[in-house]
Amino acid sequence: MLIDLRQVSKTYQAGQVAVHALKTIHLHIAKGEFVAIIGQSGSGKTTLLDILGCLSRPTGGEYWLDGENTGALTESQLTTIRNRKIGFVFQTFHLLPRKTALDNVQLPLMYAGVSRPAQISRAQELLTQVGLEDRITHYSNQLSGGQQQRVAIARALANRPALLLADEPTGNLDSQSGKDILDMFASLHREGQTIVMITHDPLIAQRAQRRITLADGRITADESTGSRDPVLL
Amino acid sequence: MIGSIFQDAFKNLTANILRSSLTMLGVIIGVASVITMIAIVEGGQLWLVNSIERLGTNLLFVWKKRLTVEERRMFAGRNTQLRYEDALAIRERFPELVVAPILELDQKLKTGDRDYSGRLTATSPEFSTIRNFHPATGRFLTRSDLKEWKRTIVLGKTVAEVLFGSSPAVGEEVKIADQRFTVVGVMEPKGEVYGQDYDEMMFVPVTTGLRFFTGNDKIRSLILHVPERGHMPEVTEELHQFLVQRHDGVDDIRIRNQGEFLGAIDQTIWTFRIVLGGIAIVALLVGGIGIMNIMLVTVTERTREIGLRKAIGAKRRDILLQFLIESITISVVGGCVGVIVGIFAANGFGNMVAQSMPGGGDWGAVIQPSAILIAFLFAVGVGVTFGLFPAMKAARLDPAEALRYQ
Ligand SMILES: Nc1ncnc2c1ncn2[C@@H]1O[C@H](COP(=O)(O)OP(=O)(O)OP(=O)(O)O)[C@@H](O)[C@H]1O
Ligand SMILES: [Mg+2]
Repeated sequence: MLIDLRQVSKTYQAGQVAVHALKTIHLHIAKGEFVAIIGQSGSGKTTLLDILGCLSRPTGGEYWLDGENTGALTESQLTTIRNRKIGFVFQTFHLLPRKTALDNVQLPLMYAGVSRPAQISRAQELLTQVGLEDRITHYSNQLSGGQQQRVAIARALANRPALLLADEPTGNLDSQSGKDILDMFASLHREGQTIVMITHDPLIAQRAQRRITLADGRITADESTGSRDPVLL
Repeated sequence: MIGSIFQDAFKNLTANILRSSLTMLGVIIGVASVITMIAIVEGGQLWLVNSIERLGTNLLFVWKKRLTVEERRMFAGRNTQLRYEDALAIRERFPELVVAPILELDQKLKTGDRDYSGRLTATSPEFSTIRNFHPATGRFLTRSDLKEWKRTIVLGKTVAEVLFGSSPAVGEEVKIADQRFTVVGVMEPKGEVYGQDYDEMMFVPVTTGLRFFTGNDKIRSLILHVPERGHMPEVTEELHQFLVQRHDGVDDIRIRNQGEFLGAIDQTIWTFRIVLGGIAIVALLVGGIGIMNIMLVTVTERTREIGLRKAIGAKRRDILLQFLIESITISVVGGCVGVIVGIFAANGFGNMVAQSMPGGGDWGAVIQPSAILIAFLFAVGVGVTFGLFPAMKAARLDPAEALRYQ
């Protein structure tokens, strides 16, 4: 079991008001699964993803990742886990501006302590893998949205993470670029990559194996999509 | 790993060259102003000391103390005056010293159609040697002038110009209080030193001054040159005792040496130093606050970047290191530029003073390596200190919050 959420809850304190963004979530995700999380705005999708990605800690319950109780880990150990085991893809790409595609992909390798020549060759390999071999020295603001997201995917895959987390990865893209990204996810999935992807689009969720529906901080449905037909898109 | 973070930080700086230069500007201004101010103060001090020493070295000045009414009543009948005889007696008792008596007389000089009111200095030939102040044309006073109460006069450059214009003054006559005096010399230009304009001086034999103007033998002061600087304290002491003894045991004498004057100047200089130093430190602090300000803005601006970096594996230490490297680089580079700018500014200012100040021809900024070092270290210290706070703030950011930051 890669992901094991046990009665996880998350309460934000917004001034005097407590916002219960997640309420007793039970969730298991095995290695190699491709899971879509859908739900309306404010239902807690990003909050759940933050917890899965060790970006924030649950306020209640336990999160076991790859057999390890993350609650027992220090800040610095969580950072190492994010660096080695998790890859993030965001709706707004979050590439560093004024840096080249190569620089951006090198970052997680740099924080992993990889030597500089190895960083560069690995980053080049990844950019080639996402089809950007001719955009390696382009600055991120010189790239189209779809290209930026592909750089972000290359960056997410840099340290061969066990878990790829994507928050609305196609949200800012036109339908063709979005489809390219989803195709890339599908092929990564075929190679055995575990993927958890947030979307509010049921059609996009169809591309995953399994669809989890969140409503008001609770899981209201957890079903197999049964369909993997790309023609539906 | 640290090497990579270094490289990454440098890339950040060069990628945001405008932001980096603005931040650097604060340091540059701070360092340059510290160096300039120190150079100006040091230059000014050197110039003052030089210009005073140009008027003779190893000098002692002897005055009569002013006595209180009570003291005057108490010492009535005793010899409590500084007299020309004292000067002669000193010359006999301390042959190694060079002594010049000084009597000052406010008088009006007249030629056929012009006149000049000023202060006559009645003195002896030694004055010229002691003060290192020599005639440009003609001669200074001589021993025979004194012996024979000659009515000879030596004029300062300005006085000669006022009375005789561009025509030669030596050999001409001037009238002082209906006595005819012959001009025997005109002094070299000397300019103003510490409030005294040497070009406005004029000299007559001290004996002539006593005989024709005051009618007694009281003089105002004595000026002495001590050949051996090391002997000055003993000489001062012996001279004091000698004079008290001559004055029937009344201690009405004050002796000061040039060092004390220079000490007074030193004090002035120190005041300057403290004031200018204060301004310079404020400049540096403002520079430092500038760095902090921009680093803080940077943290806000770069919140999402920091969130992203932490999300993909940057530890607190890495973020802290990155920001520290950025601020150290800025302050070191800014410090270097500031040193160069400061050296140029100090020299420029030195030249400006040299050209605009009368007699400031040899004024120059004095740039000491220690000043450069202090300014530089202080700038780096300020840069690091003020860079540290934003860096710690950046390192503590929560990644999830930082990523959502709009
Ligand atoms: N830092 C925070 N402080 C207080 N409340 C928060 C915070 N972050 C999220 N929330 C609240 O938690 C709830 C869940 O937010 P979350 O961002 O997880 O929703 P979401 O499902 O991702 O929505 P969307 O589809 O709009 O991205 C919302 O009500 C939101 O207002
Ligand atoms: Mg969201």
